[in-house]
Formats: sequence, C-alpha cells, structure tokens
Amino acid sequence: MQALGATVVRAGRRFLSSLPALFGVLVFTFLLMRVLPGDPAVFFASGPNAGKEEIEVIRKQMGLNKPVPEQLMLYLYDVGSGNLGRSMMTGQLVTKDLRERLPASLELTFTALLIALVTAVPLGVLAALRPGSIIDHGVRFFCALGVCVPTFVSGLLLIYVFYYLLGLAPDPTGRVDIFASLPPRRTGFLLIDFLLAGDFDGWWAAFRQLILPALSMALFVVAPLARITRASMLVSLGSDFVRTARSVGLPWWRVVVTYALRNAILPVITIAGIVFSTMLGANVLVEKVFSWPGVASYALDALLSSDYAPVQGFVLLMATVFVIVNLLVDILYGIADPRVTIG
Amino acid sequence: MSVTGSRRLLMVVASIAFSLAAGSVQAQTRAETLRYVTGASVNTLDPNIPGSTREAFAVSLSTYDRLVSFGRKQLNGKWVFDLGKITGELAESYEVSPDGLKMTFRLRKDAKFQDGTPVTAEDVKWSLDRVVTAPVLGKAQLLTGSMTSADQFKVIDPLTIEVTLPKPDKLALPNLATVYPIIFNSKVAKAHATADDPWALAWLKENTAGSGAYKIETFKPGEQVIMARNAEWNRGTADKSAFFKRVIVQSVPEPATRANLVERGDADLVIDLQASDVQSLEAKAKLKVISTPQYNAVTFVSMNNQIPPFDNVNVRRAIAFALPYDDMFKAALFGRGSPLFGATWADGKPTSGAYPIPQPVKLDLDKAKEYLKAAGMPDGFSTTFSFNVGQASTAEPMAALVKESLAKIGIKVDIQKLPDAQMSTQINEKKLPFFTEGIVAWLPSTDYFYRNFYTGNQRWNYSSINNPELVEIAQKARFEPDASKYEEDGIKLNAIHFSEIPQIPLWQPSQDAVMASSVEGYTYQFHRQVDYRDLNRK
Repeated sequence: MQALGATVVRAGRRFLSSLPALFGVLVFTFLLMRVLPGDPAVFFASGPNAGKEEIEVIRKQMGLNKPVPEQLMLYLYDVGSGNLGRSMMTGQLVTKDLRERLPASLELTFTALLIALVTAVPLGVLAALRPGSIIDHGVRFFCALGVCVPTFVSGLLLIYVFYYLLGLAPDPTGRVDIFASLPPRRTGFLLIDFLLAGDFDGWWAAFRQLILPALSMALFVVAPLARITRASMLVSLGSDFVRTARSVGLPWWRVVVTYALRNAILPVITIAGIVFSTMLGANVLVEKVFSWPGVASYALDALLSSDYAPVQGFVLLMATVFVIVNLLVDILYGIADPRVTIG
Repeated sequence: MSVTGSRRLLMVVASIAFSLAAGSVQAQTRAETLRYVTGASVNTLDPNIPGSTREAFAVSLSTYDRLVSFGRKQLNGKWVFDLGKITGELAESYEVSPDGLKMTFRLRKDAKFQDGTPVTAEDVKWSLDRVVTAPVLGKAQLLTGSMTSADQFKVIDPLTIEVTLPKPDKLALPNLATVYPIIFNSKVAKAHATADDPWALAWLKENTAGSGAYKIETFKPGEQVIMARNAEWNRGTADKSAFFKRVIVQSVPEPATRANLVERGDADLVIDLQASDVQSLEAKAKLKVISTPQYNAVTFVSMNNQIPPFDNVNVRRAIAFALPYDDMFKAALFGRGSPLFGATWADGKPTSGAYPIPQPVKLDLDKAKEYLKAAGMPDGFSTTFSFNVGQASTAEPMAALVKESLAKIGIKVDIQKLPDAQMSTQINEKKLPFFTEGIVAWLPSTDYFYRNFYTGNQRWNYSSINNPELVEIAQKARFEPDASKYEEDGIKLNAIHFSEIPQIPLWQPSQDAVMASSVEGYTYQFHRQVDYRDLNRK
C-alpha cells in the first residue's frame, strides 16, 4: 500500500516537472503558427464577393488585429481558463471538437496497438527461439512488408478487398454505420458505450467498422515491436539465469515466458509507448482513408487552412498525451521489473 | 433436448426473426433516404457566417426558404439553373415597377415556419435588414444588387413587403435568390439575440429557425448533417413537400472511398470525385453520370500585369501561344469540361458579348517566339508557376506541361505548390507573378465578371489589370437596359480582353454528378452544390 502511495506521489511530481515543457510547447506552437506564411483571414474570406471588409471582420473575429504579444497573453489567459479558442473550420470550440474526436482516435490507436502487440510479441519470441531458421526469416519478411507498405496503401487495399470485392466489411465511413443509432455518450469510446447501453448489435457494428483501420495501422507498427522483442529475447535467452533455469529442468514455457520474456519486456514497453504516441498523432492517413473522425485529420485540415486555434490545441493535446504515456510507461516498468523505480 | 437447449434455440430463432424484420424496415427507409457524400464539410447552419463552406450553402437552402428562387432550364440535355426565370418561393407573386425602382413581394398565405407560426412580412424585413446590416457575407453580395440599407425594405402589410432601389438594377431581383437572403423566423431569432450579438449570429450558426423543406436532425460540424423532411413544406416546384424523408450529408475525405461508396450503392450521390474515377465509373455504365460544364466558373492561367516581365503585353501573348492547351485539357480534366481555347474569330472580332467565350489561341511556338522577340526577350526569362495544394489533382499535371512547353521558347519555370491559405494570401498581396486559379460568379453576366474580376486593386482581380476603358464600359453596362447595346458593350470588353490578354482563360471544368441510377431530378445550381429538394427516386 505504501509502495503504491509512493508511486502516485512520484508520478505526480513527475507530471508537475513536465509542466514547463508543456508551456514551452504552447508558446512555441503559437509563435510558429504566426510565423508560417498564409493568412487565415484571407483564406476563410473566400466567398464569391468577399473583399477587404470581410477579411477584416474575420481577422477581428480571430483576434488577429491585435499585436502578437497581446495575442499571446490573451491566448495564455484563455488556455489557463480552459478555453482553447474557436475553430474557423468547424465553427466550434476547439475543446469541444477535441473532446468529440479524441476518443475516436484513442479507440482506434488502442485497438491497433493491441493487435500489433498480440501479433508482434509472439512473432518476436518465435523468431528469437529459432534464430536464423525459416521462421526467423519469415518473421523478418513479414515485418519488412508491413513497414514498406504505407498505411494509406494498405488501408486502400484492405478496403478494396474486404469492402469493394468481397463485401465483408461495412462501408469505410467513420465509426459506426450512418443508419445506426448511437449509444448515449458516456466515455466517447463506442465499444464501451455500446456495452454499457447493452446494445450488442451496435457493439458488433462498431467493432466491424473499427477492424480494418486498426489492422492497417497495426501492420505498420508490428515491425518495430517484433524486432525489438526478438533482439531483447535473444539477449535474455542467452543469459545465465535462463541457462540455470533450463539446467534445473523447468518446463520450457516457464523458462521462456516467466524468466526470459519478463526480463526482455522492458524495451518492448518503451517502444510501445513511443509507438502509441506517434500513432495517435500520425495516423492521419488512416483517418482520412476511413473517414475516421479523429484528431489527426482534424489537425491536418486546420493546418492546411492556417486555422490557428485547432492546430495549437492539437499540439498541446499531443504533448500532454506524450507526457501521460511516458508516465504510464515508467509505472509499467515498475510492475514489469520491481527493481526499477521512477523518481 | 434439455430445457436450456430449447431455450437457446428459441432465442436464436427469435433473434433471427427480429433481425430480418429490422432489415426490411431498414431497407424501406433506405429508399426514402438520400445519402450524399462529399470531401468538404458543413461548418455552419447559417450561410451568412464568415468562413462558411459551400456545403453549408446547400444545407441552408434546404432548411430555409428565400423570397424567390431560380427556375431551371435544359442546356444540352442537362438541367441547369435559369438566371432568367425567377419564381416565387416564399413570395406567392412579385412585381417590379415599370421604372425598375420598386419590387413588391406578396407572401404565400399558407407559408409556415417549422415551429408552426406563419411567415410574415416582419420576418422578411428582419432577415433582409440582417443581411445588409450585420457583419455577414451577404452584405457584399447584396451590394452587387444595389441593396445596402435597411431603409430599402418596407413592410406594407403583414403579407406584403416592398424593396426600393436607388437605380434600376438588373441584378437586384436575382440577388434575392442567392444563398444569403434566406428568411429567418424573426421571433425565435430575436429571442436568442444578445446585446453583443443583436442579430443572433452565434445562435443561428448552431441552430435553425426557418421555413424550409428540411429540419436539422443531427449536426456534427466536419462530419455529417442529417436532415428530416418537413412534411408541411409546399414551396417545391410541384407544390408538394420534398421527396426524400431523410437526407444525410456525410464528409468522406478520401475521393477513392467516395467512388467506392457510390459504386457499391451505399451512397446515392456525389459531385466531387476525381476525373479519373468519374471516367471509369462512366465506362462501367452502372451508375448515372451527369456532367455539366460549370458555365458560371472559369479556370485561368493568370499573370500579374504589374510585375515584370508580365507587364509587357507581348510576353503575355507569347505565353498565350506557348501553352499546350489540348494536352493540358486531357491531363488535368480528362477532357471533362468545355474548352475556352482554339476558337477562330472571323476578322479578329469576338464572336459574342457573353463571358467567357473561347479565345482564338492555340499552341503555336513560332508565333510565341516572335512575340518574345517583340518583347525584347528573345532568350526568354525565368519565373515561377504556382498552384494550391487543394487543386493539385488537376493543377499538378497541368503545371508540368506548362513548364515543359515554355522551356521550348526559353522560359524557365519553377513550379511552386502552395498550401491553400498561403496561396490565397499571396494572391491577395499580389505577390505571385504567374499561377493558375479559378473564379466563379453566382450571377454570371458579362458586366459582373468584368467588374469583379478585372477591376480595382483587390484580390479577385488576379491579373491586377488596370485598364480605365474596360472599367468604364463595364460600369456603364451594369445599368444598360437595352439588350442589344449590352451585347455591344460585351463585345467591346471581350475585344479588350483579347488584345491585352491579362490572363488566359483555359476551360470551364465540368461538374460530374455521379448518382445511383434510381436518383432523378439533379439540377446544376448556381452555388455548385446539390439542391436536395430537386431530387427524387423512381
């Protein structure tokens, strides 16, 4: 109990110490957006008759008529009071947009990471058990293939085969069939909300929508996870304690899983944390191809139209997620290997 | 069989029966539902909000009514909007006084807002006042129809409203049929107005208070809008409510996915596919493809007439004869559109006073070299050619061909691909020497094009041309009541355009509407979106 309390305190301290970094990210993104060429007011005043006056109206609406330092102070004040500004693109508050879209991205990324881990770890272990064998080469080939094919290509391919040719998958447009009714929003994660509402048909429909985009994302990240598992397992299998365990006649699965894998899992957790954060921000192509209403495609659209507030909000969100994921990874370290503490 | 076994069997049978029943209900509603997919998205329910998208226009025309709307006509066998035929929508009838200074609208007695209250002249006045007073997009639009002040709109009686004009303006009435002067339920809107926001801009952006054919069911900005039919609505062409019970407007960013959806029959209608996909779908002949040249839009290669070397008319002429028009048309649009090149003008005079008309230009490198020599640059020069990312699918192949062809007369071109916001900023600041862009006019008349796109130091004057004679003729033509004199003015303007070549009109791209073969009634509209009220399923 005491150990748990200590972990929480340390995690809290760790989080506090990352606040200056978040602040830096906030200011940096703010300035970067203003340095980039492209005037959002001109872009959004694109009606057939929009002239100077309309541009001025939009500029005022976005607060761009004030000097940059004043804008920055106002923005910091707003962020401090929980307001990330308003998106010109969707016309909504950025906080509202992100709250709607983040669960979609998280659900997709979690599922993809789960698929990737469930595939990659056994593959890596298998490859490490028989290095140089046909299995090892097979795994290497599969990983190379996954990394070589960009996610949008594999996404389009999956759509072509499973939706267009075979008709097995539902149409690749978002999180749930457009004709289906949504469950009451509790967590924003559709799979969980459907379960809570007891709607199993709905759950199945949402799951079917999720599986293709999750697969195409997973394919891309299987490689780093499997490779790191293999490398780390090779070290662990060659170490003294495994030789001892084998020599005392422990069953092979116990040697591999309990002794070798548990010791080899640390780098895998690290990589999984990094992969997760990267996927969340960088799965924009998958989101586009599957019309997934996630945060990454939202941020890209905002960036193309120089819509400042959503881009800044997105970067801040990603930085926060990165901090939290790193924290989680540290805590998982402690569970995987009690010798490790975070401090 | 055990008890649990039989119960399980019963449950399986029940669930199968249930799902079959659910399936047939769904199939029935599916036929009465229109699913429209698009790469763009709806960002406001009030088209007047600065920054509103074109998709938002289409939605608001279904949820609101205007006083009047455009009729439709057939052009080469396809239905398009008819600028010359204006029919009543909320107005039962209208008349324009003989001197053209007064327009009187009589409202339909049976017209009701979606909350059941009748539409009155007060509502019309509030809505029109809002367009010309509030900081909204409609202000600049109605300016082009000489409507600038709330004093011009007068309530005569609860069902009659009068609009007075300072000058007889041909575009005044058509302006009332554009997307901005929609009629709001003023009582509801006023109830949501605040001291900071007397015109309820913030509330109407997220909510509707109209009398239109559809009610908003769900509005998720950037994702989807679902609308349900307003059964009371009777302002359609045949005096009855719209056909589809539900309309789903869904954003699907990936064009290949949109093509798959409509081909598989999961979507009913899409208008923004890539030209290559349209071509293959047309070849398969499973779906209906209606291609209408966007006759109120033009794509240009523009040159900034104030920046050297494009300030020299001979350089502009050289470019005009050095572009590989046919190859560009095929590579960029797969030939889907109407070309504005390769015409022959008898004795060098414009063939008509309309705008745009095909220009007597074609690829002729010898002629281009002569013009370059006349410009004093026989060895050519270097420049940049810009286009925006949003148009990359058509502009990228085009830019490569421009570069290749101009290299043959010694002009070295660097291709610049700019993010959309950056491109519009640079155009606004007049910094781009040589680029491709498009224009569109809702009310396409010759003087309107010349006044808006060839006049003044403003953004839409892409070529930055400053020609006093052109300005004078265009301003005069605006109020010219005599059709034959107007045509003469048009011919003069077109002649100036060709002798100056401020920019080179290339083509009018087609709008390719791809739809399930059961969908009928599609009409090309001035706002280049689908009017969902036009459609039905046979």
